[in-house]
Amino acid sequence: MKKRDEVLVGLMLIVTIVVVVLGSLWLARGGLAKGYPLYAKFPWGAGLKQGQPVWLVGVTVGYVDEVELEQNGTLITTFRITDDYKVPVGSKATVVPNGIFGDMAVALTPERPNPVSHSPGDTVPVGPTTPGIAQITAKADSIARAVNSVTAALEQEMVAAGGLRDMRQAIAGTNRLIAEFSSIAAEQNRQLTATMTSLRRAASAVDPVKVDSTMTNIRTASANMAEMSADLKATSARLDLILAKVDSGNGSAAKLLNDPAVYNDVRGLLARMDSLIADVQKNPKRYINLTIF
Amino acid sequence: MIRDPLIIFRRVGARGYFARDIGRAFRDPQTYGPETFRQMRNIGVDSLPLTVIVAAFIGAVTAFQTRYQLFGGVQLSVVGLISRQSIILELGPLLTGLVLTGRVGARITAEIGTMRVTEQIDALETLAYDPIAYLVVPRLIAALIMVPALTIIADAVGVGTAMLTAVTATDVTAAAFSEGLRLSFTPFQIVYSVIKAVLFGGAIAFFCTYEGYTADVGAEGVGRSTAQAVVVTSVAILVLDALTALLLAPYLQA
Repeated sequence: MKKRDEVLVGLMLIVTIVVVVLGSLWLARGGLAKGYPLYAKFPWGAGLKQGQPVWLVGVTVGYVDEVELEQNGTLITTFRITDDYKVPVGSKATVVPNGIFGDMAVALTPERPNPVSHSPGDTVPVGPTTPGIAQITAKADSIARAVNSVTAALEQEMVAAGGLRDMRQAIAGTNRLIAEFSSIAAEQNRQLTATMTSLRRAASAVDPVKVDSTMTNIRTASANMAEMSADLKATSARLDLILAKVDSGNGSAAKLLNDPAVYNDVRGLLARMDSLIADVQKNPKRYINLTIF
Repeated sequence: MIRDPLIIFRRVGARGYFARDIGRAFRDPQTYGPETFRQMRNIGVDSLPLTVIVAAFIGAVTAFQTRYQLFGGVQLSVVGLISRQSIILELGPLLTGLVLTGRVGARITAEIGTMRVTEQIDALETLAYDPIAYLVVPRLIAALIMVPALTIIADAVGVGTAMLTAVTATDVTAAAFSEGLRLSFTPFQIVYSVIKAVLFGGAIAFFCTYEGYTADVGAEGVGRSTAQAVVVTSVAILVLDALTALLLAPYLQA
C-alpha cells in the first residue's frame, strides 16, 4: 500500500512538472519548435510586448519573442518566425493596431514577391508606424477642438455680428438681381426672336434668279478686268521698248532728248525769239505796217 | 455583544503557539516522514478527479461567457487572453483551494478531531510520540506540495477545456484562441498561480489541523470544529488571495 502511494504521488508530481514545463513553453513560444529569429528596431512607444503576433501579408507566421529597451530611443525586437515561413527580402516591418483595445501586432509587408528570403538573425527594415487608437483619438480630439473654434467664430460672426442678417439681405438682393436678369433675358429673347423672324423674311424675299444674274455679271466683269490687265501689261511692254530706244540714242526723239547740240540750238533759238519779241514790242511799226485804204 | 473582548487576540495567540509547535515538530522527520506520502496521496491523488472536473467546467464556462460578453468588432483572440488570465491567475488556484477546503480540509479536521475526542492523541503523547509531528506536519507538507500540483493541473485542464469550448461551441478559431493565449504571457504568471496555491495549501493544512487538534469533546464538538475549519479556511483563502493580488499583481504586467 505504501509503495502504491509513493508511485501515485510520484506520477502525479511528474505529470505536474511536465505540464508546467510544456505549458510554459507552449504559451511563451508556441511549442517546442523554436523557429528562427529575426530582428527589427522600432522607435520607443511602439506598443510592443512579448507574445504579440507577427503577420506576413496578413498570415500569422510568428510572434514577438523579446522586446529590449535601448537607451538610444529604440526597441530591439526579436521575432520568432515559424520554420515553415520565409520572409522575403525587401519586407518592411510595421507596428499595426490589432483590434480596438490598443493591442498591437507586427506586420511584415514585402514590396514585391521575392524568392530571396531573410536568413535567421537578419534585421528587417522598419516601415512607417500605423497610428493606433491613441493617435487616432488624439487626432480626433484636435479636429474636434478646431471644429469647436470654427463653430464659435462662426457664431460670433454670423449671429453676434449680424452676418446672418447680412447674408439674408444679400440672398434677397441676389434673388432680385436674378429676377431682373430673367426679365432682361426674356426681353432679349423676344427681340432675338423678332430679329430672326425678320431675317427669315428677308432671306425668303431674295430672288434667286437675280442673284444668279448678279453673279454672272460679276464673273463677266472679272473676265473683262483680266483682259484689260493683259492689255495694260502689253502696253507697258511697248513703252519699255520705246524708252529703251530713247535711252540708246537712235531715232529723232532720242536725239532730241540726248543730243546736247540740239539743246544748245533750242536755247539759242529761244534767246533770239526773246530778243525778237522785245524788239517787236519796242518797235512795232518796224514789223507791222498797217494801211487802211 | 462580545463576551470577552480579548478573545480575538487569544485565538490568534493560540494559533501562534500551534505554529510554533509545528516548527518544532519539523525536527522529527522520523515521525512525520513515513506518514507524509500517505497524506500526499489522500490530499493530492485522491482529489485529482474532483479538481479536474471543477477545472474543466470552470474553463468551459469562462470561455463561453467571455465570448458572449464581447461586443462586435473586438478581435476574438481576446477570448483566449481573458480565459488564460482568469484561469491561471485567479480561478484555477482559488477554486482548487476552496474545493480542497471542502474535501480535504473537512476530512483533516474530522480525522484529527475524532482522534482528539477518542483520546488517541493523548495516547500518542503517552507513547512519547509528538502528535503534531505525526498528525499535522505530514498533512502540512502534503498540502504544501500537492495543492500547487493540483492547481497546475487544474490550470492546464481549465485552459484546455476553455480552448475546446471556444473552438467547438463558438465562432472562435483555434488559431485566434492560441494567439490570445500567448499574448503577453510571462512565466511569472505560472509562478504567481503556484505561489497562491502554496499559500492556500498551507492555509488548508494549518487551519484544519488546528481546528481538529483543538476540537471540543463529543461528536458535536467534532462537527462544530469541522464546520468552523471550513469557514475559517475559506475566508483565509479569500483574504490570502486578495493580499497576493495586492502584493504581486503589479509584477504580472508583461
